[in-house]
Amino acid sequence: MTLAYVFRWELVPESAGLLLHGLGVTLQLSALSFVLSLGLGLVVALCRIAPFRPLRALAYAYTQIFRALSLYVYVLFLYFGIAAVFGIDLGRFAAGVVALTLLNSAYMAEVYRAALGSVDHGQREAALALGLTHTRSFTSVILPQGIRVAVPGLVNQLVDIVKDSSIVAVIGVFDLMGATIQLVNTERAPFEFYTVTALTYVVLILLVSAAAALLERRLGRHLTGGSAGPGPLERMRRFRLRGEVPA
Amino acid sequence: MSEGAEVGLGEDVVVADGLQKTFNRGVAGREVHVLRGVDLRVRKGDVLVVIGPSGSGKSTLLRCLNFIAPPDEGSVTFLGRRLTGEVPRRRPAERLRYERELRYFRTHIGMVFQHFNLFPHMTAAENVALAPTRALGLSKNEARERSHEELARVGMSDKVSAYPSQLSGGQKQRVAIARALAMRPQLMLFDEATSALDPELIGGILEEMKRLAESGMTMIVVTHEMGFAREVGDRVVFMDEGRVVEEGGARELIENPQNERTQAFLRAILN
Repeated sequence: MTLAYVFRWELVPESAGLLLHGLGVTLQLSALSFVLSLGLGLVVALCRIAPFRPLRALAYAYTQIFRALSLYVYVLFLYFGIAAVFGIDLGRFAAGVVALTLLNSAYMAEVYRAALGSVDHGQREAALALGLTHTRSFTSVILPQGIRVAVPGLVNQLVDIVKDSSIVAVIGVFDLMGATIQLVNTERAPFEFYTVTALTYVVLILLVSAAAALLERRLGRHLTGGSAGPGPLERMRRFRLRGEVPA
Repeated sequence: MSEGAEVGLGEDVVVADGLQKTFNRGVAGREVHVLRGVDLRVRKGDVLVVIGPSGSGKSTLLRCLNFIAPPDEGSVTFLGRRLTGEVPRRRPAERLRYERELRYFRTHIGMVFQHFNLFPHMTAAENVALAPTRALGLSKNEARERSHEELARVGMSDKVSAYPSQLSGGQKQRVAIARALAMRPQLMLFDEATSALDPELIGGILEEMKRLAESGMTMIVVTHEMGFAREVGDRVVFMDEGRVVEEGGARELIENPQNERTQAFLRAILN
């Protein structure tokens, strides 16, 4: 059987400039949205456990509403919907950042909340018994422990952000996906370009995960009792040597 | 903040008056009346041992004294300052004064927990130095000096830089005792401080507590260690179902209990 499709891989290096530019936009978009979500998510989580009831209700509504929509709906609504009514042009990139931030901060708020809730009750008791104020107990004792617990969940969210950022191409952001779509349309080589782009995303995600594992290990060292076990590189090495299943 | 008013020997350090506490208050069917009116008086230099079956309210009693679990009814008078569990929520100025009183209690009352409750993200020295800097306003250097001093006193000089996860249960409890003592408390509360320890480590901690008692520290000790109660305790109260059932000199009460329930409890625990 012969394939009718003629591979033209040489097009890829020829278009490397555009693809790299798109990759740069993807990285900026993801990084900015991640940092903003980290901050906003923490604020929402703090509101959810605040002693003031209306604040709690507001934060609850925030997490429920902003998690309910898909990113696709968000970007279209923000960029076209809002623009049409109010005449505000957010700009494609900004609309993408806002959409990614709203959605992910809502998820992150839940990650933070669960992590803070997992800190043993005795920690707060001990801090208060030592005469620390509620605020000080929280900032010195509860929060640092909660953050460490939250790290895996937060990084998970970064992985989602990097992947989902491809969706903002739908409003014409020239990110990696946007660049790819344009190249596919002009060069008529969908398999080649989509393959390269897919692999690029895979590599990106693997890098994020590896960095996260390292960070997690550094942060978790003293919380997990005794030694925290081998790190990711060590686990990979053992896997190669002895066929030991990586944990 | 001052380091605490000195009280003369034999004067009251803490007086509890009619303490009542209910958990899940207002939750139908799940209310637990843990304390049903407890009175207590501990004088300077006294070691009061609290015994009783689990669920009798011993731990809650300790937590009421430093308002970690504020009482619903009754009051605590500590070094002449009386406080109830009622927080003046509506008046900011009074609220502030209340919070200040509360912190006065807590900075001058040390507490040691069954499960140590060390801060796992801090070294032993940091655990001990945290409250002196944050609650007493000591400088970092002063606090570090004090933490090393207190850790040395409990034989933990070589572990100042160790994290709790690197310590044994007995070592953790030593750090926890040092952490409480670094505040220079006027009263120490021990909540089953040896119950979570391996048997071979219990003796060391009891020894530490005995030494503290001999140094003149006023202490309230919740424990199941009857040998310790008899030897170190001045007085013993026996609690059951949220009430003080019997109270007396440590030796007399343990060797010759009058109340039927005390007798049954001691018989069960000593055999």
